[in-house]
Amino acid sequence: MPSANHNAVYNSRIPQMRAWSSRFPRAACLCVLMLTHVPVILASDWRAPEEQLARKIAAATGPGAVTLEVVNRSSLSRPEDEAIRRGLSTELAALGVHFVNADQAAASVQITLSENLQSYVWVAEIHQGNNEASVVMVTTPRLGPPVVENSTVALTIQKTLLSTEENRILDVALLNGAPQHMILLEPESVVLLKLQDGRWQQEQSLPLSHSHPWPRDLRGRLALRKDHLFDAYLPGTFCRSLTTAPLALNCYDSDDPWPLGTDQSGLSAFFAPTRNFFTGALSPGIEKQTTVKAFYSAAMLPREKYKLWVFSTVDGQVHFLDGVTDQTAAKLGWGSDIASVRSGCGPGWQVLVTGNGDGAGESVTAFEIADREPIAVSHPAEFNGAITALWTDSDGTGAIAVSQNSETGRYEAYRLSIVCGH
Amino acid sequence: MRLTGFPLFVAISLFCALGGSAAARPPYGGTLHVEMRAAPTSLDPADASQPDWSGYRNLSSLMFDTLVSLDARGKPEPALATSWKAESGDQRWQFFLRRGVTFQDGAPVTPDVVAASLRRTNPSWKVFSEGEAVVIERDSPAPNLPLELSLARNAIARREGGKLSGTGPFAISQWNPGKKLSLVARDDYWGGRAFLDAIEIELGKSFGEQMISFDLGKTQLIEVAPEQAHRAIAEGRHIRSSAPIELIALVFGRDPQSPEDARQRQALALSIDRDLLSTVVLQGGGEPAGGLLPNWMTGYAFLFPTSIDLAAARQVRSEIPHTTSWTLGYDPADPTARVIAERIVLNARDAGMGMQITTASSADLRIVRLPLISIDPQIALNELASELGLPQAKSAFASTDDLYAAENKLLQSQRLIPLLHLRTANGMSNTVRNWRATRDGSWRMPNVWLAAEKP
Repeated sequence: MPSANHNAVYNSRIPQMRAWSSRFPRAACLCVLMLTHVPVILASDWRAPEEQLARKIAAATGPGAVTLEVVNRSSLSRPEDEAIRRGLSTELAALGVHFVNADQAAASVQITLSENLQSYVWVAEIHQGNNEASVVMVTTPRLGPPVVENSTVALTIQKTLLSTEENRILDVALLNGAPQHMILLEPESVVLLKLQDGRWQQEQSLPLSHSHPWPRDLRGRLALRKDHLFDAYLPGTFCRSLTTAPLALNCYDSDDPWPLGTDQSGLSAFFAPTRNFFTGALSPGIEKQTTVKAFYSAAMLPREKYKLWVFSTVDGQVHFLDGVTDQTAAKLGWGSDIASVRSGCGPGWQVLVTGNGDGAGESVTAFEIADREPIAVSHPAEFNGAITALWTDSDGTGAIAVSQNSETGRYEAYRLSIVCGH
Repeated sequence: MRLTGFPLFVAISLFCALGGSAAARPPYGGTLHVEMRAAPTSLDPADASQPDWSGYRNLSSLMFDTLVSLDARGKPEPALATSWKAESGDQRWQFFLRRGVTFQDGAPVTPDVVAASLRRTNPSWKVFSEGEAVVIERDSPAPNLPLELSLARNAIARREGGKLSGTGPFAISQWNPGKKLSLVARDDYWGGRAFLDAIEIELGKSFGEQMISFDLGKTQLIEVAPEQAHRAIAEGRHIRSSAPIELIALVFGRDPQSPEDARQRQALALSIDRDLLSTVVLQGGGEPAGGLLPNWMTGYAFLFPTSIDLAAARQVRSEIPHTTSWTLGYDPADPTARVIAERIVLNARDAGMGMQITTASSADLRIVRLPLISIDPQIALNELASELGLPQAKSAFASTDDLYAAENKLLQSQRLIPLLHLRTANGMSNTVRNWRATRDGSWRMPNVWLAAEKP
């Protein structure tokens, strides 16, 4: 049975004390090779509960002939169900319980694979003669493996699963090097992971201090730096990684503007410290334009002689700013989050846009914008839940999308990139 | 490449342009209008006399926090307490408070205030402050104390000069006992300000009144009777239901007085057609119940039979020389209970037993609604036993087998016959967004936001 843990402590994670590898590059760049990262498939190991239940059944029936029926009333898949049936049969046979027809059996055993909120519950009802049925049961924790989907048609948005976490993931940065590293920005910590044997292993967790409560729909952004590893921007709070070893974080109250777009875009904007949007004040501005309506996200598209900035504003409109004009497009059906990606396909850059999200899942579609007219250039990439973050990565070759899986509730961080051709 | 697929992309563009509402980030602001059946005359979490437990719990969660809350799987997680630890074999617990939290009236949350709040709700507990911590000492080991502290009655309140103040996401702006509650979002809520600016709650509204208000667009969130949920969905309303979270049972006024009495109770249990009650009377708003706790909570509830077995009922009945003609009581304010009572009388007659329905309080047995007040099965079972005046099981179970044995023991007391597990249902307008359906029907209001009305 679940019970409250003795001595349970729920403070922030304790930082891992492992020091940075001296080979780890300070001046980090994004890791395009991460596209080849293969998601790990978690295989459940049912041997322990199988053994446990078999022992309990054998203790009740003793060695001998029984009939066995297994019923699945749980969310276990058919292959899992069948694997468990085989495992139970094997374990029972090893304990001297063999299976016969009903007319030859000394006992009948009905096993039900059930579940509750926290566990799978396997129940065996054992009937022997005219005695009242005896009941034995075992429990084993429920797990939720991550699900990865890939689009396969048209100009393709390629999704690569980077991490799944119970905690909300605000942003992710990938660092090139040997070994490869990844930084996760979470509400209460910055987590550093290392790619080892095809798996991301946590290397260090840095607590993130803040003096004010976070607003709801919390957002945050990581920016990789040349003179130190990274900066983290959160509402009303700024954190900078220190250059000393082991890695540490210095956080303080700050309304400094957050960078928009890529490292090279050169535009920042002020974020409302108690809300989930940018105020509209730009720094230093797009040419002479220093304000726009309050907005949720922005994307930059380089043009030959200027930069076109696209803003998804709080009032549901999309604004196009080029340093001179501010054109508005309404009813595009776009979501709140947009991010530009340098794909090299077509004109070179596309805008990724969150889409129609009334259902359990959500999607991201790539658009090209010719003369302020957005044209969809990919099929939507589907997600298993609401997208909570979409940021262009530091060098613009991809974007980080975070969605909350509507089935598991876990946050899934993906790197999105655009692949030319079908 | 792009040109070859151009028609496809145009189609996608059009779809995106003409599609439904976009996945917009949640906007802050707006007032949510709610109607409820509950008509509490007090908002004090320590007041155990409120009849509509589910509604009261949801109201309480808007204004008050507990030290510990439960996650979706029933595991304790930090709320006003950020950490805790047990000592002395789980008899002594220390809870460390979240720093910087204030009550609605601006007073800081201190160990002294928290201890006073918990003492008021639990007079038998020894609760006191010790430095930064609140210490709770129990007479016997209490390994599930964090789970107990997640119950709504253990919400922390400050009572000063006759005024009640909580730490919850909303502050009371107007309170007309039993009639109306107005709340405003707290900008300084420790969990982050709610998206809504305000909530206006009309209390004491029947299901029928709520539905009329909803259809007239006067309210955006209502409760829907479980038996009306399917119909409401069929009529195009947006309904969210919980998992089965309320037990309807026949509860006897006393233990069996003789072996014949016990046999007659057994015959009655076998004669009841719970499937018909579930599908016809409740229109799928509940599930047949053979045990006290639903299967989603325990994983073993299917072991308790729910099917009618009239032949067995008649057989048991035939072994009783003289049966008693029982009176079956029900709450006259509960029309569903009356229909259930009438069906049970017919079932009993089919098994050869006489029974009469009554609204008098002196009935031999009554139809009773018993809320399962925690998604943790141990807490829920013990609270049920307490509610029924039955001996509570030991405070913690080492395994699911133990829990099953304890539930079985309560059933074998024959003080009650489970009938149905009911869901709770809410109807909400299309403007209510980010409503997270919870297993137990509890609200997660700080995350709810309002979309603009479509023209």
